[in-house]
Amino acid sequence: MTSQNSATRPTGRIRSPQNVAGGVVLLLLALFAIWLTIDLPRGTLNSVGPAMLPQAIAALIGICGIALLISGLTKPSDYEEAIWTLRGPLLVTCSIVIFALTIKPMHFGNLDTPELGLVISGPLAIIIGGYASPEARLRDLVLLALALTPFCMVLFGDMLNLPIPILPRFVGQNLLAGISYKTALRVTAAVMFGIAVILYLTTRGSSASLQVAKHDEVK
Amino acid sequence: MMDFVSNLGFGFAVALTLKNIGLCFIGCIVGTLVGILPGVGPIATIAMLLPITFGLDPVGALIMLAGIYYGAQYGGSTTAILVNIPGEATAVVTTLDGHQMAKQGRAGVALGIAAIGSFVAGTFATLTIAALAKPLTGLALVFGPSEYFALMLMGLVLAVVLAHGSVLKAIAMILVGILLSTVGVDIETGQDRMTLGLDFLYDGIDFAVLAMGVFGIAEILRNLDNVETRDVVRQTIGRLLPGKEDFKQSAMPIARGTIIGSILGILPGNGAVLAPFASYSLEKKLAKNPSRFGKGAIEGVAGPESANNSGAQTSFIPLLTLGIPPNAVMALMVGAMTIHGIVPGPLVMTNTPDLFWGMIASMWVGNLMLLIINLPMIGMWVRLLKVPYQLMFPAILMFCCIGIFSINSEPVQVIVIAVFGLVGYSISKLGFEPAPLLLGFVLGRLMEENFRRALLMSRGDMMTFIASPISATLLLIAVVVLVVSFMPSLRKSRDEVFTE
Repeated sequence: MTSQNSATRPTGRIRSPQNVAGGVVLLLLALFAIWLTIDLPRGTLNSVGPAMLPQAIAALIGICGIALLISGLTKPSDYEEAIWTLRGPLLVTCSIVIFALTIKPMHFGNLDTPELGLVISGPLAIIIGGYASPEARLRDLVLLALALTPFCMVLFGDMLNLPIPILPRFVGQNLLAGISYKTALRVTAAVMFGIAVILYLTTRGSSASLQVAKHDEVK
Repeated sequence: MMDFVSNLGFGFAVALTLKNIGLCFIGCIVGTLVGILPGVGPIATIAMLLPITFGLDPVGALIMLAGIYYGAQYGGSTTAILVNIPGEATAVVTTLDGHQMAKQGRAGVALGIAAIGSFVAGTFATLTIAALAKPLTGLALVFGPSEYFALMLMGLVLAVVLAHGSVLKAIAMILVGILLSTVGVDIETGQDRMTLGLDFLYDGIDFAVLAMGVFGIAEILRNLDNVETRDVVRQTIGRLLPGKEDFKQSAMPIARGTIIGSILGILPGNGAVLAPFASYSLEKKLAKNPSRFGKGAIEGVAGPESANNSGAQTSFIPLLTLGIPPNAVMALMVGAMTIHGIVPGPLVMTNTPDLFWGMIASMWVGNLMLLIINLPMIGMWVRLLKVPYQLMFPAILMFCCIGIFSINSEPVQVIVIAVFGLVGYSISKLGFEPAPLLLGFVLGRLMEENFRRALLMSRGDMMTFIASPISATLLLIAVVVLVVSFMPSLRKSRDEVFTE
């Protein structure tokens, strides 16, 4: 059904831009892989070297790329051309990277990232990531962050004992005598959850109606 | 025969301990929960929840993971029936008639027959696995490196034929998967390949990280692009137990679906994916009045659902007997087994019989649980479906981050899932499918190992791959299937199966 579309599209001789792009990407990938392994010994059939298989595969990928490129130039594709968006990929990537940078120290040369623990990284990931959807609303995301983070803290940090930093390092190191890390974790989780409940109760009127309305639309 | 009974009995003794029943229960519930949420398939679920099993013993861990797996399968069909969104690829067929039944106020019956069909199929598949495990393990012992290589090559070729869309693109994706699997230190010479000098790539790319990226994160990105049209059924669910007439209509489809699924599931190269499609087209051909299909025919739910479930379960066979994961979920199982120090393959049965038979028995227990637990809880699951996506995906996002971070406490790996997420999103925008890539990655490393070992043993003689009759036959099948798949007439009928 897209054949007519692509015939009338002003892209000139390129019949399927999607396939042309796919072919070019494959070709570049093949060249990249060959360039990366160029210094490694290929070996012989008798004793296969580390570069033999990657280079053979890369060559095959290159052939696929050329075939796809040619078919993209001559034949319209059977698929609808995709729409690319920026907002989703950008914000979701940001959210994941920020989680990674704040959960545990990472070293970049002489620059260290802070260890803030799940208590900070979790809500950051949820709120920043949440804005990837155009329908995001701050109140809902904050509520979600405040409710889900303590749940994960208790589940992963307390019950399952996974080695995941929960509280910021400076808090963990400067705990007052008498309070263990686990107690601090539980107290923090309880406080967060409490705030979530209060927030939910106090702001309920403003958005409950909106949510109900949204469900009714979907009839 | 006595062996068969005593082995199963031994398995049940392991699976029916209080702890293992509990783990199976948790697995089933969690699996269903996540399976029901549209946009989270079993692959992302298992990758996300892998860390939860770290503290368990191997038997318990695998029982729980298997529970998550078929729970997620089951949850996927619930979503397909009630919301018209396939929770995962194999539930696509269920949306056709299942959702129509729901619109006619027969959602309960559709869910009921899906559950009953799945249970029948699960029971049959469990028995099949138990019966075939021993002979196939024996077969594995005569397999040398060249046979393994040939078998995996055939698996990949089958995966190409079974993938949606362009054959060329599927081949390209498999090759890219193999290429990615060669990243890291070369096992034999110790030289690092294509690591770009990055420390975390020395051990190669972690499978869970790749799977989470191209399935979990990329799926979120894809879903965000589609304007949400969630068509939750408004009518009441209605009674759950199908009537006499319904049973009569679906008995044969369930039986046929079960057998189709069991056979396709054993094939390496993810044959299970094809099972629901094959069952649906078969039922449509056999039906007296095919025009009913697509308008709420109960056979269109009963057959594919049974095929789906039995295929999902028999796909454990290549993993447990030959050590070859036939699809991405099984590859995650390999990951889970390796974490617990078990090497999947023919030795599992002799070295850890409690694990082997316990897991098989727990599959049946899990299926029974799904039947008993889930039907009464359907009201709760429906409410879950009403959670809007803009609140669900941030939660999934955080679970993905925590899950990947916990695997080896490396924040870098978390960044890598973002990278693979973007890769997965881009390739699907270019019309490629991520599933063959994952399979190529899974089998790539094993293939290279066996390829090199075979050549080493034959002193560099390529003829070794056709000298043995087994590997020659397997390679011949691969070549024939590949040639046939390029023929225009077959491509047309293949596309029909998938678009139907």
